[in-house]
Amino acid sequence: MPVTDGYNAPLKDMKFVLHELWDASELSTYEGYEDASPDLINAMLDEAAKFTKNELLPLNQTGDREGCVLENGVVRTPTGFKEAYDKYCENGFTSLSTDPKYGGTGLPHTLEFMIQEMVVSTNMAFGMYPGLSHGCYNAIYLHGTEEQKDQYLPKLNSGEWSGTMCLTEPHCGTDLGLIKTKAEPKGDGSFALTGQKIFISAGEHDLTENIVHLVLAKLPDAPEGVKGISLFLVPKFLPTAENTPGQRNGVRCNAIEEKMGIHGNATCQLFFDGAIGWMVGQPNKGLAAMFTMMNAARLGVGMQGLGIGEIAFQSAFDYARNRDQGRSLGGTQSPDRAADSILVHPDVRRMLLRMKANNEGGRALAAWIALEIDKAVKHSDPQVRQDADDFVQLMTPIIKSYMTDAGSEAANLGVQTMGGHGYIQEWGMEQLIRDARIAQIYEGTNGIQALDLAGRKLGAHFGRYLRSFFHPVSAFIEANVSNPDAVEFVPDLAKTFGWLQQASGQIAQSGMKDAEEVGAASSDYLRLFALTALAYLWCEMALKAKAALAEGKGDAAFYEAKVKTARFFYKRMLPEAQAMFKMISAGKETIMALDEEAFSFAA
Amino acid sequence: MTEIRKIAVIGSGVMGMGIAAQCANAGYKVDLLDIVPEGATDRDAVAKGAIKKALKTDPAPFMHKSRARYVTPCNLEDHLDRLADVDWIIEVIVERADIKQGLYKQLAAVARPDAIITSNTSTIPLSILTDGMDPARAKRFAITHFFNPPRYMQLLELVTTDATDADVVDELRRVCDVALGKKVIDCQDTPGFIANRLGSLLLQAASNATADHGLSIEQADALAGRHFGFPSTGIFKLMDLVGLDLGPYVSKSLYDNVNQGDLFREEYRESELLDKMIAEGYTGRKGKGGWYRINREGGGRVKEVRDLKTGEYRPVEKPEGAALAVSKKGARAVFKAGDHLADAAWCYMSKYFVYAAEHALDIAQSIFDVDEAMKTGYGLKWGPFELMDVVGAAWVAGKLAEEGRSVPPLLQQVGEGTFYKVEDGERFFMLGDGSYQAIVRPEGVLLLSDIKRRSEPVLRSSAASVWDLGDGVLCFEFTTYANSLDDSVMAILNNTIALIEKDEAWRALVIHNEGRNFSVGANLGIALFASNIAAWPQVQGGIKGGQDTFMKLRFSGFPVVSAPSGVAVGGGCEILMHSDAVQAHAETYTGLVEVGVGVLPGWGGCKEMIRRHSANKRSARGPMPALVKAFELIGTGQVAKSAMEAQRDMLIINEADSITFNKERVLYDAKQRALSMVEGYEPPEEATFRLPGATGRAAIDMALHDFHLKGMATDHDMTVGRAVGQVLTGEDTDVTEELTERDLLKLEQKYFIKMLKEPKSLARMEYMLNTNKPLRN
Repeated sequence: MPVTDGYNAPLKDMKFVLHELWDASELSTYEGYEDASPDLINAMLDEAAKFTKNELLPLNQTGDREGCVLENGVVRTPTGFKEAYDKYCENGFTSLSTDPKYGGTGLPHTLEFMIQEMVVSTNMAFGMYPGLSHGCYNAIYLHGTEEQKDQYLPKLNSGEWSGTMCLTEPHCGTDLGLIKTKAEPKGDGSFALTGQKIFISAGEHDLTENIVHLVLAKLPDAPEGVKGISLFLVPKFLPTAENTPGQRNGVRCNAIEEKMGIHGNATCQLFFDGAIGWMVGQPNKGLAAMFTMMNAARLGVGMQGLGIGEIAFQSAFDYARNRDQGRSLGGTQSPDRAADSILVHPDVRRMLLRMKANNEGGRALAAWIALEIDKAVKHSDPQVRQDADDFVQLMTPIIKSYMTDAGSEAANLGVQTMGGHGYIQEWGMEQLIRDARIAQIYEGTNGIQALDLAGRKLGAHFGRYLRSFFHPVSAFIEANVSNPDAVEFVPDLAKTFGWLQQASGQIAQSGMKDAEEVGAASSDYLRLFALTALAYLWCEMALKAKAALAEGKGDAAFYEAKVKTARFFYKRMLPEAQAMFKMISAGKETIMALDEEAFSFAA
Repeated sequence: MTEIRKIAVIGSGVMGMGIAAQCANAGYKVDLLDIVPEGATDRDAVAKGAIKKALKTDPAPFMHKSRARYVTPCNLEDHLDRLADVDWIIEVIVERADIKQGLYKQLAAVARPDAIITSNTSTIPLSILTDGMDPARAKRFAITHFFNPPRYMQLLELVTTDATDADVVDELRRVCDVALGKKVIDCQDTPGFIANRLGSLLLQAASNATADHGLSIEQADALAGRHFGFPSTGIFKLMDLVGLDLGPYVSKSLYDNVNQGDLFREEYRESELLDKMIAEGYTGRKGKGGWYRINREGGGRVKEVRDLKTGEYRPVEKPEGAALAVSKKGARAVFKAGDHLADAAWCYMSKYFVYAAEHALDIAQSIFDVDEAMKTGYGLKWGPFELMDVVGAAWVAGKLAEEGRSVPPLLQQVGEGTFYKVEDGERFFMLGDGSYQAIVRPEGVLLLSDIKRRSEPVLRSSAASVWDLGDGVLCFEFTTYANSLDDSVMAILNNTIALIEKDEAWRALVIHNEGRNFSVGANLGIALFASNIAAWPQVQGGIKGGQDTFMKLRFSGFPVVSAPSGVAVGGGCEILMHSDAVQAHAETYTGLVEVGVGVLPGWGGCKEMIRRHSANKRSARGPMPALVKAFELIGTGQVAKSAMEAQRDMLIINEADSITFNKERVLYDAKQRALSMVEGYEPPEEATFRLPGATGRAAIDMALHDFHLKGMATDHDMTVGRAVGQVLTGEDTDVTEELTERDLLKLEQKYFIKMLKEPKSLARMEYMLNTNKPLRN
């Protein structure tokens, strides 16, 4: 039996970050979120935990082995996916945070992000089908006409129809300015789309009766580059007057990719051959429209990193505590058994604690961002909304990049913890490495995320986005310098924060003269930023835990573990920040010094 | 030998009034004469009305409202006899030779024989004006052609003849140059003189090319851009600014007066659209709009432009074209871009080059005078000959020849060479025979650019350079963007002070530069970024560093003279207030504008305002009136609209300081001022203060509250205003306590940082950086 089957949603920790570290009760003060009380949120989390464990987890390993099959232009998803998907819809997970006007439930995004983590942990490949529908919903919701919204949004909400994002073409991935797919106006307000798209997740499948493709394409005479891209809505079946799937549209899947992981999800090549579509948003403004869903999507990918990290940690821990091999270096621990569990070994503990500290720190960060997303959408004060949006803009590349790196690392550490058993299929751990790997790549590679942070977000509005993070952290440090509970953390936090400040200043300054300096610093800067954010959050969490312990409320063991994990993070993970700072300060010189010919002397 | 002491201006139209005001600004008593309106009870009503209107005009003709009293409104019927006392009579009436000649006859009857009479005509040759004039009068008659508005336009074209008395020429040049501050260019007596002649050809040829090559107005304006050294207005925006109704008049007159076969006659076109626009009141910025307008219909603000195909307004579009895409690479790249914009640009610029080269030596004494006139008359970076050097004179000549056009002799003469050359730091221009003449500055003119060409800096960093002005005087020149101030400027300023203190070769320091802005103050971008990343120690260090540097400037053992021109605000103003003397250009715009970006003066500006207004003998007794005045100036971010206002009303410039009207004389005057202070120089004594603390603050808070109630101050204005009030009243002090300058500086630091922690202050800074306008949040 796969070791991953022992997974349980980390409900206690989720509730801790939502209600103790942060105050999710504020959500119910926003207009439209009146029902989202802490009790309701907790109940929903409990429900989702059961659903994902019971319905999705059992399909994770089978889905991976069986994969998707393309037959006569139709993709068959793995056994059980269709039934699970129907239940997923029945339970309202497809419409959790969407607008009630179009059949949504209108609950906070924060709740959805938390549930997303559970879905990913239990079945990442499955989760991508509704995940893409959600991105499609957002783009139509924000940029579509009233008619388009009325026609498509209720179907996407109910899950009867699903959605995709069609960006990539064979010759263009990161540089979307190069796309070739054409959209010819047909004179009746519709367009005929012709071209090829690749790597289209959920591009074709048997879960829904219709698929709504959002396609980037160029109008005739469109300007060169990214300024000439428009966004089109192309349904697999053209809706009838009754809004049911009608005539088959000219979009076909002619191949699905054989890939490293997420086998349960169909990654399609799609051919558009005069397919009928309608424009979403303004002509030549398609990239901006697409990017409104990219931001949400990037946060979603960050949650994939966390989801994989969590199940990898739980499974590896479960394995380690039950795997008896050798004896503790400090002397026998379990004399009644033939060997001690491998959990006694410092190096095993090191691996597990790294996973745990990243997961819990990342969850705290994710909850912070999620709450700010809800604030940016729902708060009554426009200034507060703007500040919240600044923070989301700033932290999006950080959570996407750092958490997917951490998820991948966790899966690898999980395999390492299990030794040879991690490497074989049976135990389910190697699948996590394969599934996690894509998250570092899609929705903008992690390198692109770092450039987005250092090259765009850092300097934007003379550093205004940075303010949303730097001011609260600076104020926190100031407020806690002489707090005895914080004295074990604050000096290191202040030091790291100072490096981040210096690095920000250096990049802003050198970047004005030389953009390559920004590129050379970007990945290390993002990591330094993430470590600083986690350090701040671990300090906050430790203080909350200490306060709870002092009051004697709740589960003392949980709070003690928090404090100890915080200490582990500060002593055994945070020092990496100094290395990052040194590397940033070294500048681009050594990165750019080697000529192309000198890279390899292999004949 | 006539020394001009009293001036009369005849004709109180916009030009006449403007000239009268500038004379008054320079300290002359001026009679302003105009006709008696029919049936008027007040026979001076026309001149009086002009003065009244001038006091409301923005930009203001007067440098200080008190200068209006220097102008006496008169009329041409009752007051002609007053002209007997006048040394210089300037005629500024309608451009008709017969009417002008009639007036001169009247003047001849009353004016002293040695009086100087000049006309401000822009189109009528001197030979016609003096036609039939008594030769004795004609010898004392000249043309002084001012440009509109006379206070602000630097150029003055002076037309005399060989017969003109030498003392008349000398005195006019002295008064126009030194007293009125104009760039005086000698012109030959030819139609349109220099600037209107070449400028009209350029504008006409550009308009024609725009139409003929099918360019939009936006494209045309972008095409006439920085790569040619043109101001940001381009062609059509410039016409809007000047007023559309005047152009056709000047053009027609030029057309009538130039010779047959003159290129301008070929280019000249009447425009139905333009005539229709003028007839309907679309005369440019002063009218309902012009080529451009802001459409405010329905409460909006849409920038619109005339579509040359339909003649109607449409929203402004972003101009595009191959020539524009390469414009950063320079003029020649634009000409070679290969699209229809490039063709249009070459079409009119080549005509401009040819016309300048053909006529330079008929209309002016040298190509240098032509370039200087065009630069000061139109705000260009390069005159036509300098621009041809930039493009490549040989390349221009070659292209003309290739097109089968005749190459003017001057362009043939220059050959593969350049019109200007620099040898051993001296700059030369080419004469008609191909030889070169060195540029010689008049007595009393000292240009930093000349010194920079001749020498190496004594000190240099990326932020500033220090130059040797001779006689032991150093000049500190900012070299940052817009001459903004930051740590790096302070560092080299400190080094400079230390150098002068240490090395006996140096005796005094002048702070000066030739930028458009003397200094826009602290570098906001750096301050904002540092605040956004909560780098408070660094911010604090920046404030303290600036304070320490300026205090060193004030108490150093040698004289420091600041010599500003243009904008000197925030930190730029604080430098002035920490100098021993200020030798300001008359057009200096200074003030403490910090509240506009949500902070308060932090480099000693608050301290200096208190010190200066407390020491003011004219202010009422007790500490409060001075503090209220300082609060008003800082709290409203007031900027002086002239050096005179800064001196008289704001006390930023000391009473003992004098003002220089000619920008090119500022540095010379400043150096002399510094040298005059060297002997026996003693640093000032440190000031002490007794401030009222909380009791005084009540008065300031009440005033603030009143502003707030009247809707004149926003919530955040109140926050910033209260912080200013804290500093100015000395925070927790009372009158029994004596505070030092350092005490006040500490308060400035404290409240400056406090304001930087206000998100609304940071929003103000961001908005200012993005839009160059203050945010009233």
